[in-house]
Amino acid sequence: MKKVLTAVLMFSLIGSLIGCSGGGAAETPASNETGTETPPAAASDSKDPVKLRIAWWGGQSRHDYTLKVIEMYEAQNPHVTIEPEYAPFDDYWKKLAPQAVAGGLPDIIQMDISYLNQYAGRNQLADLKPFTESGELDVADVSENALSGGEVNGKLVALNLGVNALQTTFDVETMKKNGIDIPSKEWTWDDMDKMGAQAKEKGLQIGGFAYRHDVFFPYYLRTIGQKMYSADGKTIGYGDDQAFIDYFTRYQKWYDNGYILSLDKEAQKKGVAEEDEIVLGNSISGTGWSNQFLAVANLVTDRPLELNPMPGPGTKDGLFLKPSMYFSVTETSKHKEEAAKFISFFINDIEANKLIKGERGVPVSAKVKEALKPLLSENEAKIFDYVTWAEANSTQGDPPNPIGAVEIEKLLRDLSERILFKKISIEDAAAEFRKEANAILARSQQ
Amino acid sequence: MKRLRENEHITGYVFSAPFVLGFLIFTLYPILSSLYYSFTNYNLMEAPRWLGLANYERLFLEDDKIGKSFQVTFTYVFASVPLRLIFALFVAMILNTATKAVGLYRSAFYLPSLIGGSVAVAIMWQQIFGDKGLVNSALSLFGIHSTTSWIGNPSTALWTLIALSIWQFGSSMIIFLAGLKNIPRDYYEAASVDGANAVHRFFKITLPMLSPIILFNLTLQTISAFLTFTPAYIISRGEGGPLDQTLLYSLYLYRKAFSHFEMGYASALAWIMLLIVGVLTLLIFRSSTRWVHYESKGD
Repeated sequence: MKKVLTAVLMFSLIGSLIGCSGGGAAETPASNETGTETPPAAASDSKDPVKLRIAWWGGQSRHDYTLKVIEMYEAQNPHVTIEPEYAPFDDYWKKLAPQAVAGGLPDIIQMDISYLNQYAGRNQLADLKPFTESGELDVADVSENALSGGEVNGKLVALNLGVNALQTTFDVETMKKNGIDIPSKEWTWDDMDKMGAQAKEKGLQIGGFAYRHDVFFPYYLRTIGQKMYSADGKTIGYGDDQAFIDYFTRYQKWYDNGYILSLDKEAQKKGVAEEDEIVLGNSISGTGWSNQFLAVANLVTDRPLELNPMPGPGTKDGLFLKPSMYFSVTETSKHKEEAAKFISFFINDIEANKLIKGERGVPVSAKVKEALKPLLSENEAKIFDYVTWAEANSTQGDPPNPIGAVEIEKLLRDLSERILFKKISIEDAAAEFRKEANAILARSQQ
Repeated sequence: MKRLRENEHITGYVFSAPFVLGFLIFTLYPILSSLYYSFTNYNLMEAPRWLGLANYERLFLEDDKIGKSFQVTFTYVFASVPLRLIFALFVAMILNTATKAVGLYRSAFYLPSLIGGSVAVAIMWQQIFGDKGLVNSALSLFGIHSTTSWIGNPSTALWTLIALSIWQFGSSMIIFLAGLKNIPRDYYEAASVDGANAVHRFFKITLPMLSPIILFNLTLQTISAFLTFTPAYIISRGEGGPLDQTLLYSLYLYRKAFSHFEMGYASALAWIMLLIVGVLTLLIFRSSTRWVHYESKGD
């Protein structure tokens, strides 16, 4: 009797073990499949059910309309189901990295220029050229200039979704009411100092750069004819630390005078428009990309906001048209062709773009841009106008950041904190930044 | 007879197989591969390249952050573990004297530990210690008007994490409570007859009798405190800020591995952590002969 019982137990145990290894065996071919690069031509044309995963970053309004666009696409393509994943910007990248490591990236991921090299350089992104050539990804109405922003080493690894330019947002009505001078388009850093002082007097603030010195320091460098990174991406691009010192000396003055938000409050921000200081009525201005204007302006319903260029001198050299964001198809995707079709829909479909309305940057498709013009809301029209103005008043953008840039941005963020908390002198920070950043670049190129 | 014994051996192997295989595949293999990776440059997406001791050299000689990270981690461990244990023992002793509804109290106090490591609690903590949070509201009731964010202020940020850790005293408390119940009442009665007051009884009876349990809790809590990750990650939004004041070692390791894709270097960091925790545990055990009292010494 005992023997029988043992036998039964043993069988069930062996059974469960085999069951486990069976599951493993079933999975192996699948993972092989993702490893080998199947040529797109071999992808099947059949209407088998396809499940696509897509990930993006953004705020609530972007989530809302993107979900609607996805529904629209699913209705037109019943064999496709799309699973969305979304998060605020910082969290998005923290979520994406482990997925990349595990070979489990979504089929379509929203891409940013700072991360483009990091992902493309490590073969995480599929080349979209075969699909643009076969017409599944229709780029007939997209300018060569807009397309080339998504090329790395001759491969089209990311498709530009829109164009952005840096801007300052003014809460003009609050400014007038408080007797704060509204700067012209040709304003300077000194004007911004003055604006800060005037705002402070009325118990208000101006928008600082938060932690985004990775955006605004390179802008400042461009205005004085310097670059953040050298052309080969192997070193820091500016020769004289005076640039760093000037930039942070001014910024520290704003901070110490209380013109801008204190860091302990800044640290709580999640990076969504709902908590913007203009929306909360604490700040008369803000800085950011032109598409970010929309979410903020739409939340401020009782007074108009306006876009203005960034301060100069050298605004024209500083400003550039930035690919606002991209969609990339990942190398691990099993449905690259279907993914490319969705992107094609996203950039070309007029009905879909009536929902998107340039929130991801002024559309790259000339046709879409034309079709949208009469339909734009006041705030959207302001963005289109500003970007059109910027087209004529900006210069060529910098190439995508080198690998290691993400770590350098973190370094800059940490140093800016230490400067503002007076834990390090600006001169020492400038020297440390150069030394550490060059070390990171050297290490990343190994 | 011999065959029967062989059969028994096989049965034994088969029954221990799930554990042995699980250990080999899910514990030993990852540990050994991380040891290998710690000597390589491995960005997770391309094959690792052998570097020799370069990662360790960088760790000890070049990395400026790591000193800060050690300082934060040790402050966290040496503040949170004793405070948590003291608090747990304190509550356990109160519960031990309670006569009614002990079960209810016990569950209520254990609750924070059940949900303690979770993301939801960390987010709640973010609100409580924010600039418009519960703490500042409570302070304003007493006429103290504070507008700083406790989690954004470099001098208080780490202490909000320590407070969170203390709040999760439940599991230590349950173990203390069980230990307290095991101390024979006769001892206390005898001591009372001899004129010992409550303080004497605590230091002469309760603490010595409880010392094996304190050792157990101390070891366990020290190890888990070194591994704390979730609250620091959530509350500082993964940055370890402000001014790296919440840059716990595990957070730094995570950042190296998954933000900067330096898995080789992160593996080296992990091995250093393992060594530190190992040495510290050893020290605790070595010291225990001096302060832990076992009733049956077996002599």
